[in-house]
Amino acid sequence: MLNALLVEPAVGTQRLPLPAPDLAAAPDVKIAARNLDFFYGENQALFANSLNIYANRVTAIIGPSGCGKSTHLRAYNRIYGLYRNQRASGEILLDGENILAPGLDLLDLRRRVGMIFQRPTPFPLSILENVTYGLKLYYRLRPSELMERVERALRQAALWDEVKDKLDQPGMSLSGGQQQRLCIARAIAVEPEVLLLDEPTSAIDPIATARIEELVDTLKASFTLVIVTHNMQQAARVSDYTAFFYQGKIVEFGTTREIFTNPRLQKTEDYITGRFG
Amino acid sequence: MAVSGRRLPSPAADRIFRAAAGLCALSVLVLLALLVSTLGWKSLPAVRAFGAGFIWSNAWNPVTGAYGALSSISGTIASTLIALLLAVPLSLTIAFFLVELAPPAVSRPVGVAIELLAAVPSIIYGMWGLFVFAPLMSRHLQPALARLGGGSSLFAGAPMGIGVLTAGLILALMILPFMTAVVRDVFSLVPTVVKEAAYGLGATTWEVARQVTLRYGLRGVIGAGVLGLGRAIGETMAVTFVIGNEHRLSLSLFAPGNTIASTLANEFSEASDPLYVSSLVYLGAILLMISVGIQWAAHSWLARVERRSGAWR
Amino acid sequence: MRRRNVAARRLVDLAMRLAAGGAAAAGILALAWILATVVARGSSAFSWDFFTRLPTPPGVAGGGLANAMLGTLLLTGLAALVSIPIGLMAGVYLAEFGRESRFAAAVRMATNILMGVPSIISGVFVYTMLVATLGHFSGYAGAVALALIMLPVLVRTTEDMLLLVPGALREAGLALGTPRWRVTRDIVLRGARKGLLTGVLLAVARVSGETAPLLFTSLNSPYWPGRLAQPTANLTVTIFSYAMSPFRDWQAQAWGAAMLITLGVLAASLCARLLVRGK
Repeated sequence: MLNALLVEPAVGTQRLPLPAPDLAAAPDVKIAARNLDFFYGENQALFANSLNIYANRVTAIIGPSGCGKSTHLRAYNRIYGLYRNQRASGEILLDGENILAPGLDLLDLRRRVGMIFQRPTPFPLSILENVTYGLKLYYRLRPSELMERVERALRQAALWDEVKDKLDQPGMSLSGGQQQRLCIARAIAVEPEVLLLDEPTSAIDPIATARIEELVDTLKASFTLVIVTHNMQQAARVSDYTAFFYQGKIVEFGTTREIFTNPRLQKTEDYITGRFG
Repeated sequence: MAVSGRRLPSPAADRIFRAAAGLCALSVLVLLALLVSTLGWKSLPAVRAFGAGFIWSNAWNPVTGAYGALSSISGTIASTLIALLLAVPLSLTIAFFLVELAPPAVSRPVGVAIELLAAVPSIIYGMWGLFVFAPLMSRHLQPALARLGGGSSLFAGAPMGIGVLTAGLILALMILPFMTAVVRDVFSLVPTVVKEAAYGLGATTWEVARQVTLRYGLRGVIGAGVLGLGRAIGETMAVTFVIGNEHRLSLSLFAPGNTIASTLANEFSEASDPLYVSSLVYLGAILLMISVGIQWAAHSWLARVERRSGAWR
Repeated sequence: MRRRNVAARRLVDLAMRLAAGGAAAAGILALAWILATVVARGSSAFSWDFFTRLPTPPGVAGGGLANAMLGTLLLTGLAALVSIPIGLMAGVYLAEFGRESRFAAAVRMATNILMGVPSIISGVFVYTMLVATLGHFSGYAGAVALALIMLPVLVRTTEDMLLLVPGALREAGLALGTPRWRVTRDIVLRGARKGLLTGVLLAVARVSGETAPLLFTSLNSPYWPGRLAQPTANLTVTIFSYAMSPFRDWQAQAWGAAMLITLGVLAASLCARLLVRGK
């Protein structure tokens, strides 16, 4: 047991995660969180989080309810900034540039980092208008270019064949799983670099969930994905790396294979085997 | 097991209860039927005398017995239109401010203030209009508008302060708190996740409000608009003070005029001649039909909007 | 494909935010102005005489509107007495017995239509039924006209509040063998008590400020409200006639009455809010 040979890290200190040992070449770091703290008013929710997100890989964030997984994820596109009493300190480096810096162009950040939410969130617009929503914010496109981008995004989201004949129908008329894939298409239409998925399948049925999990696997060729999930089996199925959160701290990080077959820490093993959470 | 002292439930009591409640419910139907039939019956002499031509006749002479609804109807339409043109955008903007921009320390008390203001009786607005606003109109606003209009017939005539324009403006102020409260409620019902999704794509606050929040709450906003319209059309006291009460048709917004409600308010208690009274009731019946017609149109429109945009929550 | 100008988007956003703040300030200022005027002009009319004496002819000092205050209380009270039981019971019927029936649907539609009837039409209706037929104006007719306005509001409020009580509570009562009418009285009405009280308060407040329905039913009177079968003094019609008169002292009294009504309505609304808050 390797566990016996290791001491659990002291509160407040984090070891930087080790690079993946069993991948052919060490991948680039796309996002690096350094000493990220997060506060809801007076309550601290995240404690000195340091984490590497590797480019063109899927990183899963797992942990029991309330451990700060979503909070951490939402720091990556600074969506928490909508709420007055939420704040973050520390650094988050996207390709080396700190996105927590005060003067940062938020609109550009959100073009580069897209987000999918727990509930499908189609806008009260047609399917076509949903997909083009982000595109039209940033670009002026000729109709032919627009349709090309729309088709590409919908194909990548594995939704094209199902909706190509009814692009004028309201987005909200689709089924739950289709709505979520529509949201994915909408997010990838602007060709972001990173996709943040906050428990994307928690509100949809198992068959649709399976389709979205397949999707995640194909998407990593073009994007960097970070997925928060409370479903461990899902994390094991779709991700290359896994970070285990507990009470606002990152307890363990490593390749998914390591974490699930040979975790270094007892607490991780307890969570994986369902002893708590 | 002893059940001494316990009365058995009597089904008769339940039947009586249900019957009594049903009777009260029936009374609502009866009242409506009575209302419609009485108005219809009482307006019959005038209908027989003038027919449908009553609607586009501008006569109004109690002495000769010639009556026409045109000036009242046009005044109603004009003042209501002015009121809505002002109140709808203003209420949307204020609601946007309260829901998206203002910090809670501001939005909460202002929200309460708006709801309390919506309860203020319309006669208060009318009095303020007559004593404070009309002199202002006459001395400053109307001359300014006349200059800006450059001799347009819309702003012709002596700036007396009272008139169709003033009535429309007072009406706008009167329906503003109520409409703002409704629109604010509609906006705050938009799910936060959907707004976050729009922000997450990189939209600005204004873009999210216009493209997502407004679309999402469109049904409720239209409902608010129609409610405001219904209120404005039947409004009596806010208008009667400042509209001038003349059966006059004029292109100028400065000219005095009347609305159906103000005509009724001013002339009903003095009308003694049966044809006079009947004509007034005819006027009232027209107002009732317009009010009810608007409500019905609103319901069918809202049902259509619902069908077209898919499943609303 | 061209990139859109982000700075331009930001500018539009800023401009609209400023416009929104400006519009909010303008609208709120106008409304505050109205209230300030009422308070300023109204309170200057307040005096001991104002609250205790009968009206005097214009130019004669020492007049008051005590009769009108009493009259408004009487008319509003009578209207409430009539409309509350009927409205409540009708609402009970719709909520408890009328979930599916066509009759209930018709009643609901009638309620909606009645709520949209302008208040002056209600006055015209009561005039033809109770004034023209009996040959004279009366306080009773005024009260009925007010009740007519309150009724659909009360029906709707009652139905809405009762529907908020979970069906499980009713079922629990019935399962114990409680008769239907007792379930309604002891469980449902009791449970919706706060909401119902709020609704009643707001309806009464709204109706106490109504003028149009009284214009040709109860009219106005310079005397104490005695027998209600004759024109009855009330604040709102007084405001109308005094304000439109050319007499300065009457106009001042009109402002006083206006302030009284406004205070009453605001107080009732605040009470209703506190009731809801204290749930």
